[in-house]
Formats: sequence, C-alpha cells, structure tokens
Amino acid sequence: MESKKIFFLLPNRMYSGDAVRSTLGLSIENHFSYSVFMYGEFPKFSEYVKENIDWIRDMEGDVFTMGADAPEGIELTPITLEELGEKMREADFIIPYGLPKQSKTPPPACSEE
Amino acid sequence: MSDEQQMKILQVYRSEPTEDVKKLVEILNRDRDAKEFKLYDGDPNYDVLVQMIFEADQTVSWW
Amino acid sequence: MSADPNKLGIFVTSPQNMKHVLGVATAAVRAGRKVMVFFTFKAVHLTKHPDFVRLANLCELEEIAICADSYTCEGYDVEKDVPKGLVPRQMRTQAFHGGIIDECGKYLVL
Repeated sequence: MESKKIFFLLPNRMYSGDAVRSTLGLSIENHFSYSVFMYGEFPKFSEYVKENIDWIRDMEGDVFTMGADAPEGIELTPITLEELGEKMREADFIIPYGLPKQSKTPPPACSEE
Repeated sequence: MSDEQQMKILQVYRSEPTEDVKKLVEILNRDRDAKEFKLYDGDPNYDVLVQMIFEADQTVSWW
Repeated sequence: MSADPNKLGIFVTSPQNMKHVLGVATAAVRAGRKVMVFFTFKAVHLTKHPDFVRLANLCELEEIAICADSYTCEGYDVEKDVPKGLVPRQMRTQAFHGGIIDECGKYLVL
C-alpha cells in the first residue's frame, strides 16, 4: 500500500490529545502522519501523549506547534501559518480535527491549571 | 508544474472560515482548480456536495 | 490494492455533524457510490443520535465502525452498550481509519 502524507490540524485543546493518538494510528499503518497543535491549544501532556509524540517521530512523522511556543519539557517543531500551508500543498489528506478554537478561556471546572 | 495546475481541490466549510483558514486555503488553492462548498449556509444540497467531492482530486473540510 | 474511485470515506471527528454525515452518506448511496464511515473520540456520542440507526442501515456492515477505545473513554460500556444498528465487531480501532485511507478514492472529514 502506498504511504500517504496526512496532516491533522488541532485548534482545540479538548480534541488535541486524542488527535495525536489518531495521528499515531496512521503512522502505524505506514503513512507519513503529522499533528499540528494550533494557537497553544495543547492537551495535558500525560506520559501516554508524550510517548505517542515520540512514536510518531520514530515513524518518520512529526508534531508541530503553530502560533505558540512548546510547553517546557515538550519537544515540538515550530511552524508558521505560511510554512504549514506550503507543507500541506504536498499532503494527500488534510484533517481539520474535532472542533475549532474556543473563543473563551476555560473555566476552572475544565482548566488544566 | 503541470500536475499542480491540473489538481482539482474542493474546500468545504462547516462554519464561517477564520482569517487563518482563509490564508491556508489561499496557499492550498494557488495554481489549482479550486472550488468551495459552504455547509453552514442554509440547507445544504448534499447531492451537489457529493458530486463536487467526486469531481475533485482532494477535499478539505474545515471546522 | 489501490483506492476505489467510487468509494467515499467519511472520518467523523466532531460530535455536532450528524445531519451532514447522514445527508452526505445518503446522497452518495443515491448516486451509486460506496460509503465507509468511522466515528472517533467525542463523535462516538453521535451513536446515541436518533438518526444513527438510519446511517448504520445505509452502510454495509464492514463499512461503518466506531472507535472502541473512544467509546470507553467517553464513559460507555463497549460490551453491554453496543450502539443500536451496530454489532460488536463494528467496535474497532484506529486501523479502521487506515482502511478508509487505503480503500477510499474520496475522503471527507465531518
């Protein structure tokens, strides 16, 4: 089966952790699979999520951050909006995942703080 | 690139596109045969959408 | 095996697009196309939508599935609460999405 180039776009923190799992799912199926955290909408970086990120990289994919610095201790590849657009011109599949970015700051009930 | 010029790309919008989405679409559509379909605009005609998907080489469905 | 140009894969990642999923799948079948659908993460809540059974009945058994891990993560019982319209073997892994990528000539995220 031909390996495809697939981008997962993640602008919502409630979906971004699971989207990394989904990205890895396609890495395991021998595709070049990429996650893109947008606007600092990071998930809680559990050991599971960190391992998934490492595994995506081991499988010749990557995990990017666009519009925010990576949190301390988390290795993410910085990318600008324009660079992302140019890279995605070569994509076979572009997956705007889950929901768009929230307009409000999370209340304490669901904040990661 | 001739392949690039021939590529048919369909942009589907599930909600009003943000400025960043518009920028990404502008880059993706460059030198390509680009069409769009708004899912959020009234009652969508799914028969038309399906026809457009099958005519396109690639479909991107934005949030 | 190359992707089937007559087959539409739908990857459902949002819990708020049931109308579109059913609308697109119904239109595709009406147009003589094949459809393959996978629900993941919070989109598995759509299995509780009254229209989900209609969608499941529209698709061949091997062509529609949900992510079993997502279903469990969202609080449902993967063994005792198989969604209406599905059978246990339609509770799958992310590999089903890989199948969509490989088998479907056309692809839509909802």
